[in-house]
Amino acid sequence: MALFNLRKAEPKDVPDILRLIKELAKYEEMEDQVILTEKDLLEDGFGDHPFYHCVVADVPTEHQKVEGYSVIGFAMYYFTYDPWIGKLLYLEDFYVMKEYRGFGIGSEILKTLSDTAVKNRCSSMHFIVAESNKASIDFYKRRGASDLSLQEGWRLFRIDKENLLKMSAEE
Amino acid sequence: MDFTIRAATLEDCKDISRMILELAEHEKVSDQVKITQKDLEQDGFSKNPFFHGIIAEVPEHLKSRDGHTKVGYSLYFYTYSSWKGRAVYMEDLYVMPEFRGKGIGKALMSKVSQLGLAAGCTQLNFTVLDWNKSSLDFYLKQGCWDVTSDLGYHCMRCEGDALENLAQGDL
Repeated sequence: MALFNLRKAEPKDVPDILRLIKELAKYEEMEDQVILTEKDLLEDGFGDHPFYHCVVADVPTEHQKVEGYSVIGFAMYYFTYDPWIGKLLYLEDFYVMKEYRGFGIGSEILKTLSDTAVKNRCSSMHFIVAESNKASIDFYKRRGASDLSLQEGWRLFRIDKENLLKMSAEE
Repeated sequence: MDFTIRAATLEDCKDISRMILELAEHEKVSDQVKITQKDLEQDGFSKNPFFHGIIAEVPEHLKSRDGHTKVGYSLYFYTYSSWKGRAVYMEDLYVMPEFRGKGIGKALMSKVSQLGLAAGCTQLNFTVLDWNKSSLDFYLKQGCWDVTSDLGYHCMRCEGDALENLAQGDL
């Protein structure tokens, strides 16, 4: 496909971003986990100190395969920090609608993100993938990504709100 | 033990840098630390910081064998979950060996939780090495759960040549 456009997300893209977040969550069988709203996305992504950045892929009307949708892919990312090597780019979400896969849109999004990482003097791009998602793991490994959980033994830990509240109340 | 937990300032970067190296030396990988005190000052204390820090300090009469009163730190930054919204990531948590077992680590983590909640975060994330049994036990006791184990999420990285190639569009 020759005609798709990659651009920085704008406030008007928020409904589409949420739609695609939910589609990706559904693909990961975690649809009920998405509690984020359009209001959150607007406030958190387009204020003075954004918590995230987004690029979107859109197609002109004449190339639409799914009626009504011009935004057909996105990537959500933010900058993190490793005290040993400095700035990193963290890829939070990356998704292209099923009908638009196989045309190089995903590769192009990844290229744009890597370019952003290099331009911002990030030494690395990090992200997480579910081990059951063989297709994505292969996609990333083909592009030189290494699995830190397997190779170095890193395990991602989390504390949810209930326990965060308990912990913050402790003297 | 008498200690205080407070926000890190520019002047603390000398001690934060010292403790980062101590932690790396303990893991026998101090040659991997590329970040200097000056980098920390620039990256953490400019208009758009890439991280925030908190310091654990003891009074002069309780200083370390080497004469330090700044005996622990935590580095954290804000991230974003496309499912739940604002989150806080604890990148480093360290207490000098001679000051462990006195509740300082827990107090540092409690402070990060408080700050995260105040900023509207609903989760605290961090990574732990699978061989670090004492840390794993400490965190599980605080109510954390192992996302890598439970959901099969692997931490992935794309760096160096792989990142450059990706930016160039080479496969």
